Amino acid sequence: MKRKSVKLIVLLILMLIVSCNEPETIVTDYVHPDGSVTRKIEMKSIEGDVMKRFKISDIQVPFDSTWAVKDSIELDKKGDTIWVRRAEKEFKNIVEINMAYKADSGANKKIPRQAGFRKRFKWFNTEFRFSERIDKELSFGYPVKDFLNSEELLYFYSPEKLKENKENGPDSLKFRALSDSVKHKTEKWTERNLVSEWIGEFSKLSAGKTGNDMTIESLKAREDEFVKIVEKNDKKLDSLWKNGIILKEFIGEANALKYKTEADSALSLVTSNIWIDFHDYSVRIVMPGKLIGTNGFIDSSQVLLWPVKSDFFLTEPYEMWAESKIPNRWAWFLSGLFLVFVLTGVIMRVIKKG
Amino acid sequence: MKPENEKYSKVLNILRNSRPLLDSTQDIEREVINKIARAQQNKLSFSEAVDFLFGWVYIGWVRRSLITASVCLIFVFVFQQGIILKRIDMLSRQTIVTDKENLLTPATEIERLLTEYRNTGRRFPSKTTTITEREMQELLEYVNELKIKYKELENIIEGDPELKKLIEKKLIDNNRIKTNL
Repeated sequence: MKRKSVKLIVLLILMLIVSCNEPETIVTDYVHPDGSVTRKIEMKSIEGDVMKRFKISDIQVPFDSTWAVKDSIELDKKGDTIWVRRAEKEFKNIVEINMAYKADSGANKKIPRQAGFRKRFKWFNTEFRFSERIDKELSFGYPVKDFLNSEELLYFYSPEKLKENKENGPDSLKFRALSDSVKHKTEKWTERNLVSEWIGEFSKLSAGKTGNDMTIESLKAREDEFVKIVEKNDKKLDSLWKNGIILKEFIGEANALKYKTEADSALSLVTSNIWIDFHDYSVRIVMPGKLIGTNGFIDSSQVLLWPVKSDFFLTEPYEMWAESKIPNRWAWFLSGLFLVFVLTGVIMRVIKKG
Repeated sequence: MKPENEKYSKVLNILRNSRPLLDSTQDIEREVINKIARAQQNKLSFSEAVDFLFGWVYIGWVRRSLITASVCLIFVFVFQQGIILKRIDMLSRQTIVTDKENLLTPATEIERLLTEYRNTGRRFPSKTTTITEREMQELLEYVNELKIKYKELENIIEGDPELKKLIEKKLIDNNRIKTNL
């Protein structure tokens, strides 16, 4: 089914992305102890045409006329002119952020995203948790962690510029080998997902049809076999699928003829689910108090960073979370006073007894 | 010695002859008794206060409950802080410094500092600078304005070859290079 078509689709998507002129966007959430969030969006565009620059439909995150906007012209590393738009908005709580996500008319409007905030009073400290979550796209896919080891996983989720720096830095050979390994394994992961998702969708579409003896379990049992067929025929997969040869190998000649429409529909559904029209951006979170946990990348000023790419939420929900705490000094003082009081009482008793 | 003795006898006689008139010895007695009683009463109230505050140490179940509460408090504190320290330690070990590479790369050092200022929520430690937030805000606006005007000026120069030549000549004459804003 894949390689050629995959490459074509990826090329098409890349062309679409390039033609869209979407800005390079970084969203920064400044989380406050009361649950309100100051959200700042920094958009960078190289587009000279003012009409094409920063169009709401091109922006990766919710943005509208209610934001306080500041435009400036800056120079990048090479000295080229870039147009920068900095927008800022106060959200009273995460409900407002989630409403903005629901009403989003930007480039990623089809992808449901949601924010979460939790505040826990724990006497000595108050703990905060803020998260941004994107639900998974595939129903029958495999988690990427089944294919990559911990080092590869870390590399997989790393920001692109960090990868570039590592691949061109002092340990370039090591990181290039790591990059190749990740690329190779994620290709295998995509192939596996394609087959698994196709089985799931095909089973749903063909279920209940008279004389259908193919259950999802029976097809799943042959999944490895299907993946091998895909791998073996990767260069001529497109033509083999069109001619029905692959399908015959999968489900037998009689079933291939009988369920050709369902099989084609399942394939087109799967390809559209795997290659989502999603425009990458970055999320940064600044938490109140002292940071105590996160799954993001941390810079020297304790600002957290996550790249947001479609691969990350393909088979598993992608949650960017951070936890912090603020010490309750009054509780520390009260507790200390109580301890001194009890200790004094006990000492007095001991003295009197003695 | 004799005159001194005489003086002493004289003073003594005067004092003996000018005794205070005691109308009621009973009043004096009562006054003395009251003062003594008041002094005793004050002493009693302090010990009463201490007894009131720490009377619980003589009641077994209250004493045991308060000691248990204190131990629990210490345990909760140690446990909570232990977990937090462990998490912070893990965080510092798993930290990957990205050097803000995903942010825009500013052209100059001043701009880098300005960008940092913007990205940290327009806050900076008060100990390190005497510039107010308002002044910083104004500076940011001026820098942006200056950059726009500089760009306009550059466009004007680019559009006029003669002016461009003249400026380049002046720059060479003055041994200066064009500033990158």
